[in-house]
Amino acid sequence: MFKQMLVAGAILAALPIGANALDAPIMGSVQSKCSITTDTPGIYGNPTPSMLSTAATDGGIEPVIRFDVISADYYKAVIATPQDFSSSPTLTDTVVWNGTVAVAEVSDPLMSGYDAAKRVYNNVSEFDLTVAGTTWFSITSDASYGFDKSWPAGNYNAIVSAECIAL
Amino acid sequence: MQRKLQLVGLVLLAYSSYSCSEVIFSQTANASALAHQWTMLNVLPQAAGLTVSNVIYKYRVEKIAADPMVVAVQNENANGSGYIFRSVDDWSGVPGNNISKVVPVGAIPIDAWGDGSIEVTGKGTVEDPSVVYTYRYDTCFIPTPDCPGYESPLDLSMVPVFVYEDPLEDAMVKQALELQELQEEEERIIQEEEEEKETLEKILGGVNSTLLVADSQALYDSMFAMGGIPVTYYTSIPGGVYTEVLKYNSSRMPDNKNARRVGLATQLKHEEMVNSQYDK
Repeated sequence: MFKQMLVAGAILAALPIGANALDAPIMGSVQSKCSITTDTPGIYGNPTPSMLSTAATDGGIEPVIRFDVISADYYKAVIATPQDFSSSPTLTDTVVWNGTVAVAEVSDPLMSGYDAAKRVYNNVSEFDLTVAGTTWFSITSDASYGFDKSWPAGNYNAIVSAECIAL
Repeated sequence: MQRKLQLVGLVLLAYSSYSCSEVIFSQTANASALAHQWTMLNVLPQAAGLTVSNVIYKYRVEKIAADPMVVAVQNENANGSGYIFRSVDDWSGVPGNNISKVVPVGAIPIDAWGDGSIEVTGKGTVEDPSVVYTYRYDTCFIPTPDCPGYESPLDLSMVPVFVYEDPLEDAMVKQALELQELQEEEERIIQEEEEEKETLEKILGGVNSTLLVADSQALYDSMFAMGGIPVTYYTSIPGGVYTEVLKYNSSRMPDNKNARRVGLATQLKHEEMVNSQYDK
């Protein structure tokens, strides 16, 4: 122990007094290789007084979300259908939500397999983006109010959450 | 007054738009709207200098997932064999879906684009296809008088008629040529005369040298008869290589110690003589 202290003392003594030190910074920025854009905003149709639906047959428009990935196998698309209105008239009864997410369009035929391989839990659908390119996902969403109860008049807005998560 | 100004403004505006070169960027209608085969002559506008930049196509595939199917969207090469553009989508083993692709092709000239088609191999069908070409061209690719920097073609009627005159027919040139010819003739005659003279001198020189040789031979014969010519004058030495026979073996030559005094005295005398020139 004494010897170690002696060696350390010798090293310290050998260092020049007032020596300079420099911290060289290294900078870098990472651009995301996955981008998400809303290709088509959705619209709820009101086929029956108690139903709001984005289905074309119900007078609605299905929202379409576009995922672009530059590198394959690095990201997964996580899309959650609405389970609440972001803005609506005051509701006094329960709302039953249904939603689905499906591959609507692809830039590579291999992306057609995304639907078969997707994982669904609660209102969330997950797709592994295993092919580089663009995938369009269409979302259906419908909401029923109470037990065949009419929706109060007003504007209803809901949000589809889409995330690109690095694997 | 205000109306006149408005009119002038309109005229200037029309003139400026009329005389401007313009690069047109546009896209065709759906080439495959009617059939899976199309003629590019009916698709692309026939503008000089037009180049195609991208091919954008969409279609829907109806098929059973397990079935093999390959779809090719393509254009023949009008300037050769094969295809100028071909994009192949392999749908084998995957379910049908909508596909949308933008394929950049650089800037392929209009002349290279042959007939287009959607070719399906395997089981399945292509529905609602859309093939669109984006293109660009310059309205002044072939300059017209309305284009900036236009230079009108040369008016041949404005070019002065050039009458060719043979310089050899000119009187002064003729005179100069005749004079030159006369001089050359004179030079030639002089040269011939000199050559004749030289030939005569050579002939005479030959006669003289023959006589001289005869005299020398007579003199030689008489001297030889008297035995006044050394043998080495007429004895030939056999040819060959005569190697050096004398050899001097190098060895150290010792200094003559007895001459040291003489050498020293000589050196002293030399120095005295050298120094004497500075003593006045």
